[in-house]
Amino acid sequence: MSTANNAKREVHDAIKASLKDKSQSVTDDTPLIGGEGLLDSMTLVELCLALEDKAAEIGFEFDWTSDAAMSRSRSMFRTAGSLATEFINQMETKK
Amino acid sequence: MIVVTGASQGLGRAVCDRLISKGISVIGLARNIDGVSFPTMTCDVSSYDDVKRVVQRLKTEGIQVKGLINAAGIASMNLAVTTPSNVSQNIIHTNLLGTIYCCQQIAPIMLRNKAGSIINFSTIAVALGLKGESIYAASKAGVEGFTRSFAREMADFNVNVNCIAPGPIQTNLLKGITSSQINKIVSQQIIPRQFTPDAVSDLVEILLDRRSRCLSGQVFHVGGV
Repeated sequence: MSTANNAKREVHDAIKASLKDKSQSVTDDTPLIGGEGLLDSMTLVELCLALEDKAAEIGFEFDWTSDAAMSRSRSMFRTAGSLATEFINQMETKK
Repeated sequence: MIVVTGASQGLGRAVCDRLISKGISVIGLARNIDGVSFPTMTCDVSSYDDVKRVVQRLKTEGIQVKGLINAAGIASMNLAVTTPSNVSQNIIHTNLLGTIYCCQQIAPIMLRNKAGSIINFSTIAVALGLKGESIYAASKAGVEGFTRSFAREMADFNVNVNCIAPGPIQTNLLKGITSSQINKIVSQQIIPRQFTPDAVSDLVEILLDRRSRCLSGQVFHVGGV
């Protein structure tokens, strides 16, 4: 499995771990925020902190507060797929 | 560790001196740290990137931030109609955006620990609507509004956010203000007395203390209004 795929799985696992309902399946299209979103604001922040830790294990810093991340974040937190894409982008540019 | 902005002078410096005297570890942030004997980092809080640089360093050094005191601020006592636009922008950038940038970027360190206290600084001029302080008061009214909402956002993480609104405290910020002007403001306080930086440091100590954990989203007027 490619590094990007591994990273994507890590993001999906982190999302799953943050959910109260552990049986909830997570796909690229799973909405994270907004009306249909799985995450409340507190869970979202906890997920970001968990992804910071994952990134540190992999060897880069996941930045969820930068202007660049936020301006892309209209989509970044929209779905599990968009969050994974941002995570992988940062991994590939920073590592 | 407590991070204090505006640490080189005025209330920020007084707060740092007090906390250090109580054995509390402090990192002071200021644009100019010459002559400051406690641990400091240079930082222009009005620059998002500069705050980010400092936060990266805090994270890299594994510093556990338990408190943030946003004391950096500038003032210009002028009628709004005679205030140059660059002065207005500087005031808003430093007082309001500087506070927001520090809260946005330093709070995540506290969120991780699910504990912390953030103290922002406003002014009694907001509540009193003082003549000649409209731009300054506008920037600080923004800080008060930000404090109330941000306190709700942080509450789930046991991070308390409050605001201290001093009257005319004896600091460099009052340079150029006559004693009669100061007396006029002080006379409008519930306790009509000019307080010293010590009184503000007392309040900071109280708000950093765990025993004030039931207080968040509040504005505390020094002298009362």
